[in-house]
Amino acid sequence: MADTPGLSTQKRLHQTRNPANGRVTALEELRRLLPGVDDVHSTVPFGLSALDSHLPQGLAVGALHEVVPETDRSVSAAFGFMMAVLDRFSSPPPQSLHSGARKRGPGGGKEKQIILVMPAYGQREHGRLCGHGLNSLGLNPARVTLVETAHRKETLWAVTEALHSGAPLAVAGMIDRLNLKTSQKLHLAAGDAGLPLLLIRPARTLEASAAATRWRVGTAEAARDRFGLLARPRWHLQLERCRNGRPGQWSVEYDHVAHRFSLAAALADHALSRGAGAWPLERAPISSLGGS
Amino acid sequence: MHIAALNQAAEDAGLAVGESLADARAKADGLQVRAVDATADDAALRRIALWATRYTPTASPWGEENGADGFFLDIEGSAHLFGGEEELIADLAARLKNFGLAARLAVAATPGGAWALSHFHPSSLFVLPSGEEAAALSGMPVEALRLSPDIRITLRRLGFKSVGALIDKPRAPFAVRFAAELLRRLDQSLGRLDEPLVPIIAPPVYHSLHYLLEPIATQEAVIARAQRLMQMLANVLTRDDAGARALRLSLYRVDGAVEIIDIGLTLPTRNVAHVARLLDLKLATLATTHDTEFNSEFGYEAIGLAITRAEPMPARQIEINSAELPGAPDGDAAERYAALIDALRQRLGLHRVRRFEPIASHIPEHAEVLAPVDSEEPAWPLADEKPRPLLLLPQAEPTEVTALIPDGPPRRFSWRGVTYDIAGAQGPERIGAEWWRTPHGEIKPTRDYYLVEDFGGHRFWLYREGLYGRETAAARWYVHGLFA
Repeated sequence: MADTPGLSTQKRLHQTRNPANGRVTALEELRRLLPGVDDVHSTVPFGLSALDSHLPQGLAVGALHEVVPETDRSVSAAFGFMMAVLDRFSSPPPQSLHSGARKRGPGGGKEKQIILVMPAYGQREHGRLCGHGLNSLGLNPARVTLVETAHRKETLWAVTEALHSGAPLAVAGMIDRLNLKTSQKLHLAAGDAGLPLLLIRPARTLEASAAATRWRVGTAEAARDRFGLLARPRWHLQLERCRNGRPGQWSVEYDHVAHRFSLAAALADHALSRGAGAWPLERAPISSLGGS
Repeated sequence: MHIAALNQAAEDAGLAVGESLADARAKADGLQVRAVDATADDAALRRIALWATRYTPTASPWGEENGADGFFLDIEGSAHLFGGEEELIADLAARLKNFGLAARLAVAATPGGAWALSHFHPSSLFVLPSGEEAAALSGMPVEALRLSPDIRITLRRLGFKSVGALIDKPRAPFAVRFAAELLRRLDQSLGRLDEPLVPIIAPPVYHSLHYLLEPIATQEAVIARAQRLMQMLANVLTRDDAGARALRLSLYRVDGAVEIIDIGLTLPTRNVAHVARLLDLKLATLATTHDTEFNSEFGYEAIGLAITRAEPMPARQIEINSAELPGAPDGDAAERYAALIDALRQRLGLHRVRRFEPIASHIPEHAEVLAPVDSEEPAWPLADEKPRPLLLLPQAEPTEVTALIPDGPPRRFSWRGVTYDIAGAQGPERIGAEWWRTPHGEIKPTRDYYLVEDFGGHRFWLYREGLYGRETAAARWYVHGLFA
């Protein structure tokens, strides 16, 4: 089992909790003697075979991942996707569905923090992150430490500092410009620390980068429940580049209760569900997807 | 106008404090006169008292009742570091002379005794052995007791000219005839009553100080020296099972100025490298903000490191093969997180590293606050069904909305130059003003929030301000947030 590269961290963890299995403990011992080797391959799967088949068994943990909003108006969608991915990194594995509910409150204990580095100057345009909004996306706001920076140099410093400390669960942020050399440095720092680094960067300053994956996120009409109320946010995802994987595009939705991605039912007719309840308006003949 | 203070040359010309300016001008030609600037005097006195903390942590500049022209130093326990009390005041006098200040210094067992000696002893440098206060003071005039003018005048009128005339007299008649001040001052001067000193800066819990033979000016040298001081403090802290929560680095510049750098820590620490790193970050930040800081030709002649707040920190056993489970940090991870927060704060500032904390309020912009990270993790309730946007605009922005009926959901709106056709609207969620929070202020109109989605899948949070018919005739619309 030690030579199974695709075994996720979560799965390993799951098995160590079973002390009756002597072989597993022996392997754990061996694995401890080889620190770092296993971390390189550790990934977190989306839990969605359509996506995971394009990725090397999921999103690499010790790597830089870029999230690019399709247009200036899909910044909030990019944030939503990033938070959902962070939620995946911090949530229980999909294998153990019984533990799907997040532990909370005094019984939940202290959890590792997610460091979010946000430039203060972008807030006038995009707005500031809202704790209640994070909460309704399924990410416990108490787990997020927000670091506000005044300029790009500070942003890079704070991101590197957070990675080097090895203390957080993940580091995420927003940066207005990133060149190849800096992205290489950040990618290596993330690899050394064994922590995922997610950065939102605007489409208009895109340059070559060393990131493991680049996601282009566009808006899509949300999934609704049978009363026509917004049930799950939906995004149009485009995997533009991926190390050891292949590009692709999907329409996905995120269920914040189960912490799960799923493919949007492409043929579902929203107009039908909208006919009842709170959606009395008719649908216009042409609908455009995002700004692409 | 009267003379408040004068220099040696004016004194030689026969002038005296209190004389009227017109008389003085008649006595001496070429007299130069400046108006008294009490605030500048006070600031200068504070500066020099701060500098004097290089001798002892407790320096107390004199207030109005002491004449506001000097300071007390509590040198008990620190005089031996300079080779004794005589050596200490000789060193102090020499340094003050270098600054161009003529000083009268005296050491005594009581602040009152030292004050009297510094004002009325013929020698400008004098150390009074403990227990001889009464003998030394008895020959001095009653002014040596720091009394208010009316008591002084009454005493003189009654024939009490020296302190000696008061010392062994029965106390009852004095207590009856004079304010309590007289006996209090007498007792304080003689050591029968304690006189608390008000230190210029809060005295530290632990303190270490190093005098340098050669002034140092570079940041690296300062950090290296501070690291050694912290090492000394860490040993003491380990002995006491304590950790530092707040530190103060004092840099004594050759020209008498003192730079003070305060550092707060998220968790108590004894880690020398961590403290050195934080100081390094702080100094680098200072150097970039006002770049004269380290480029000045003045070096530092002494460096002090003080722990101003200490907290119990029991020794912890380190487990060598503690298996680290993802998501559940052990004590070491918590420590590393605290170290990271400290480092970010030193470079970026305390108010830039924060966490979301919920507040029990219905108004969305008041329902949470970003609070500096402390050891207490904020407790968030599980999300309820009410939709809340991921991004909230700093200020709700007005928008043009078309709706079918005035109090119905919006059909189309334009915001920031783009028109959005609404595919569906969810709402309204009515949020009324919290009248109980604004007892006297103007109550804001009610808001009706709608989650709207356009045909492109952009999701917004709009609200209409004011209820039709009751609160307003023409409601206005605002964009307040963006959903994921």
